[in-house]
Amino acid sequence: MAKHWCRFAVLLVFVTMLTGCWDRRELEERTSVLAVAVDIVEGREDLYKMTVQIPIPIKIAGSSGQGGGGNSDAVKIMSVTGRTVTDAANNLQLRLNQKLFLGHTRVLAISEEVAKRGIQDIMDGYRREPQIRRLMWPIIVKGEAASLLKIKPQLAQIPVVFLMDLIENGSKMGTIPDQTLGDYFNQTSNKSMEPFLNYVQASESEVRWKGIAVFRGHKMVGAINDIQSWSLLQLRNEQRGGDVIIPLPGEQGGFVTFRPHFVKTKLKLNDSHVLGNQKKSNPQHSATFYCELQGDIVEVTKDLHIPPEEFIKKMQTLIKKEMENRAKKLFTQLQKDYNSDILRIGLALRAHHYRDYWEKHDWKKEFKDFPVEAVYTIKIRRLGMEMQ
Amino acid sequence: MSQKQVSRDINTFSLWQQTSLIASTLIGVGVLTLPRTTSAKLYEAGWLAPLIGSFWVFLSVWMIAKLSDRFPGKTFIEYSPIVWGSAKHPRLGRWLSLPWVIGYLLFLYLSTAIVARVFGEVVVTSVLLDTPLEVIIITMFLLAQMLCMHEVDVLARINELLFPLILFPVLVIAIASFQKAEWNNMLPLYRVPGRALFEGIYETVYSFSGYEIMLIFYAYAHENQSKVKAGFYGIGIATFVYTLIVLAGIVVFGYEELQRVSWPTLELVKTTQVPGLILERLESAFLAVWVAAVFTTVANAYYAFVYGLRQLFNKGIQFQRIISAILFIPLFFIALWPQNIVDIFRASSYLGIISLYLNLGIPLLYLLVVFARGMGSKAKERKAGG
Repeated sequence: MAKHWCRFAVLLVFVTMLTGCWDRRELEERTSVLAVAVDIVEGREDLYKMTVQIPIPIKIAGSSGQGGGGNSDAVKIMSVTGRTVTDAANNLQLRLNQKLFLGHTRVLAISEEVAKRGIQDIMDGYRREPQIRRLMWPIIVKGEAASLLKIKPQLAQIPVVFLMDLIENGSKMGTIPDQTLGDYFNQTSNKSMEPFLNYVQASESEVRWKGIAVFRGHKMVGAINDIQSWSLLQLRNEQRGGDVIIPLPGEQGGFVTFRPHFVKTKLKLNDSHVLGNQKKSNPQHSATFYCELQGDIVEVTKDLHIPPEEFIKKMQTLIKKEMENRAKKLFTQLQKDYNSDILRIGLALRAHHYRDYWEKHDWKKEFKDFPVEAVYTIKIRRLGMEMQ
Repeated sequence: MSQKQVSRDINTFSLWQQTSLIASTLIGVGVLTLPRTTSAKLYEAGWLAPLIGSFWVFLSVWMIAKLSDRFPGKTFIEYSPIVWGSAKHPRLGRWLSLPWVIGYLLFLYLSTAIVARVFGEVVVTSVLLDTPLEVIIITMFLLAQMLCMHEVDVLARINELLFPLILFPVLVIAIASFQKAEWNNMLPLYRVPGRALFEGIYETVYSFSGYEIMLIFYAYAHENQSKVKAGFYGIGIATFVYTLIVLAGIVVFGYEELQRVSWPTLELVKTTQVPGLILERLESAFLAVWVAAVFTTVANAYYAFVYGLRQLFNKGIQFQRIISAILFIPLFFIALWPQNIVDIFRASSYLGIISLYLNLGIPLLYLLVVFARGMGSKAKERKAGG
């Protein structure tokens, strides 16, 4: 009998010890933060202003039908200042009844002003915090970062969910890069490339993706617009980018729209490429992106009165020229204006030309003048439901 | 003594049991840090370290198996006096073998403590933030104690049962993470001086230690099964898993980022999305499985240690039960000895190098002595006769 009791006691100890419920915290005992925005305090350059968006579960309309008053009430927005982001978070905790929980944070909005000063100090805290997920999206906001949290999109109850869907859907369609915090960490650590982040602008009720914020080290150096960003997506990620709208030559007010469906990009590095009238005796490295776009014509606003075979040929050369011009503009911006290799040419160079190039050159200085070009191949497959 | 003899005849380990015993002991806490430690010296070529580093492990396990073949049915503790002594002076053999046996047991003891500590450290920093480290270590010890209450056959079956549970999630994570791979990260293939290769391999030593428990458990191998084969399978599986994990870490993060994260494999799990978003946060599931991996490391090593003590003093199961419970107390304090995370990594690195000397040194020395004294052939004859 004694043995029986002894076993029971041991079992009891095990059951209580092995559940792992030492520090359990129920869902309702936490304040889940969905998004964090970091701004500079006006007039106090040494302080950060942190704004958080906290969903109010009871106000979110569920299937039960109760609650669900206007969208504005579904979240609470709180702002707090601090010398560092962790300091700000601690100050915020003083104003909250439950413990802050960052495990569900999906968006980290950073104002352009902060990004231009450098965000290394902000990121350090997020690197160490185990709750933070590497799949979270850091986003650079034009103007005030907090404005991104304050939008009232009406289409979704929680503004951040709207924003998340916007990015997720965009990256699914291939028009917005899926640039996560983990990617940013990897790119800043990697010595052969520079990071970039999504760049958005928020108004009273809306948010618009504006392109890509280009970084050098941890500092934002500028932004490229949506059209150049799409070129970047095609060359870097083999994502399709948005529709290409080109004015028809010779036709006043006529436009043709090309929608890429499949992208295939190959980065070729040449070690003795002859550019222009350069001598062959001086071997020089250069990079060429060979990009093949397959897609459809989705809109032609003026009838060209030419046979379809000729039309396709003509359009292909037209689009090829346009795409190459766009790429050229992208390269000029990245090399001359921002001097930031977000194209990952450096990575490919280090991988494939380590001994003959990488060891002898300082990529951070060389990238500026490195010869890069893009050669597009356009393949128009279909003309939509129209035969012309 | 006779009772022990009987149970030994029944409790024989199959090939698969031996394999899983080796592989699951190897795969433990090392897998979480391996991508960082190997790529620290080898950069992009970090994945070469476990591949090349496994060479001496194969060698060592081969020697251990051969040694065990000379003395079938006898553990390291039992045949040590025979190797060192002679029929005329059994006492001398016992005394001469004592330093080796004690060194071996002490190493097992210490490595159990460090593995438990690293495990506790990971759990405290990443999932159970407010749980005291002591509680996590004690619960792990309690589990190991439960295992120590039983005979060896239970140990074999536990490993057999848990091994697929450890192996498959690790493989799935490694393979799933390749969808985010940037293959240029693993090029140039090799660019470091030869010295760095050795330093990189040295880093894998700790992850590869643990198979020395086979010095004891090979004694229970089924007669029809090849011990060498089991050893090679076990080490081979572990090498494959390690190489895959390091490769995944390098191609996903790049070697520079790997240097900055303390638990790269855990971060790998965090960045990996399983298609379909069934499990969005894989790390909790991974850690749950990983507990099993650590358990098999801690418990196997500790069991080997306690079982070795039991044989050294020639006692029964009751002695094993009591001594394992008592020895957990100093073990607990040893586990808490390193003061911070840097200390822990240093301690595990030292243990790694000790394991290198022990695992290569002991079997080599024993084999040499056995050959010099001509015991090899005698053992073979006996085997043929029986």
